[in-house]
Amino acid sequence: MGEVIVVTSGKGGVGKTTTTANVGTGLAKLNKKVVLIDTDIGLRNLDVVMGLENRIVYNLVDVVEGNCRIKQALIKDKRYPNLSLLPSAQTRDKSAVTPEQMMKLSDELREEFDYILMDCPAGIEQGFKNAIAGADRALVVTTPEVSAIRDADRIIGLLEANEMKQTHLIVNRIRMDMVKRGDMMSIDDVVEILAVDLIGAIPDDENIVISTNQGEPLVGSDTLAGKAYMNICNRILGEDVPLLDLNIKSGLFNKLANLLKKN
Amino acid sequence: MKNSVMIKGNKYGIVVVLDSELDFEELKSDIAEKFKDSAKFFNKAEMALSFEGRELTNEEQREILDIISENSELRVVCIVDNDKEREEMFKKSLEQKLMELSTNTGQFYKGNLRSGQVLEVETSIIIIGDVKPGARVVSKGNVIIIGSLKGTVFAGATGNENSFVVALDMSPMQIRIGDIIARSPDKPLKEEKKEAKIAFMENGNIYIEPISKEVMNDISL
Repeated sequence: MGEVIVVTSGKGGVGKTTTTANVGTGLAKLNKKVVLIDTDIGLRNLDVVMGLENRIVYNLVDVVEGNCRIKQALIKDKRYPNLSLLPSAQTRDKSAVTPEQMMKLSDELREEFDYILMDCPAGIEQGFKNAIAGADRALVVTTPEVSAIRDADRIIGLLEANEMKQTHLIVNRIRMDMVKRGDMMSIDDVVEILAVDLIGAIPDDENIVISTNQGEPLVGSDTLAGKAYMNICNRILGEDVPLLDLNIKSGLFNKLANLLKKN
Repeated sequence: MKNSVMIKGNKYGIVVVLDSELDFEELKSDIAEKFKDSAKFFNKAEMALSFEGRELTNEEQREILDIISENSELRVVCIVDNDKEREEMFKKSLEQKLMELSTNTGQFYKGNLRSGQVLEVETSIIIIGDVKPGARVVSKGNVIIIGSLKGTVFAGATGNENSFVVALDMSPMQIRIGDIIARSPDKPLKEEKKEAKIAFMENGNIYIEPISKEVMNDISL
């Protein structure tokens, strides 16, 4: 029986889709059978981040409406044989699918996959309700900004109201240099405000932008963000992985910068 | 329960199945009874009627219609012939004509098609503007884009394999002609010269080529 995980945030642009792509790919790299579902109907972009846009023939709405079989709509990622994507429809809107239909779909997918990752749209309307309907676990993504935290708090409240079994927090785009200067909330501050278990923190890394544009998730690569995402994957599998020291990079970076300055 | 007359429904209206052996006069009274019984059910419905199970002359058909209108408030809009051969012929010629129309006639569309927008046309289409990634054009005929094609195009949507797609800047996400789907390469090709290109289908493959005299000669409408 597979586990359904929803990646959500409330606020837009904090990194839900990037997180879904990286965590999904990471779990696939750890030999789990994974399917990513883009539930952002009308504003799809998980397929773009995964670099699979040109393969879309059928989508989520086609599956739900019975225009095709699930198998036909699933796009196999040829880089990772364990990874599939169910893209969202671009020409419809959130009301094309109901939470009941999503629940039925995820129950069907549970049979075949170890992990089903739902990429939730921003907001708390229909799209959010669809995405969380069949989920066993939620990953709430936030950045260390008051606005994102406020929305994350609201989302956590809604998840609790919907009896989500497990809720974990991912703090994204943290910049240790700013935290040190006291210009940014630290991970501990965020965890304290939101009062849910932290499952990982991702540093603000320009490699993310590069990987997103190239359509290739960076999880597992030698970048700090890549390692941080891999750690999250291992924690999802239940392993006890210590938090990554995000200072390393800034240390190295400073050294490099200093070197350059000297020259 | 007499089975000499049966009423069945189909997608156009109702089918009256008649016993082929029974005497016509007797059959008429059976029809009258049957429609009287179901008058309430049909109420004032308007529908097409067809007969099955018995060859009827025009005279007989008219008599039956009179009986139906006497015994119920059903309004028969038309009589549908249930001749398989003729139906097949109608269908064939209709489809042929439609396919011809869809490739030979065209429409214009001015404007850019952006992500999420779908342009569906029954005929060929000439788009003056760009088709951006995530946008979709579906035509039963040919698609000609005076602009760039970066989205998805489906030409010959009813299965016409002779359909083609022309664009001034051809870098589509997907092109579909008839039942064949081609997708863009995963790694973008090295800066290609931007020139007008045509996509067409041959032996079950979709080819994209610069527009040349030879290619133009091969086009059949």
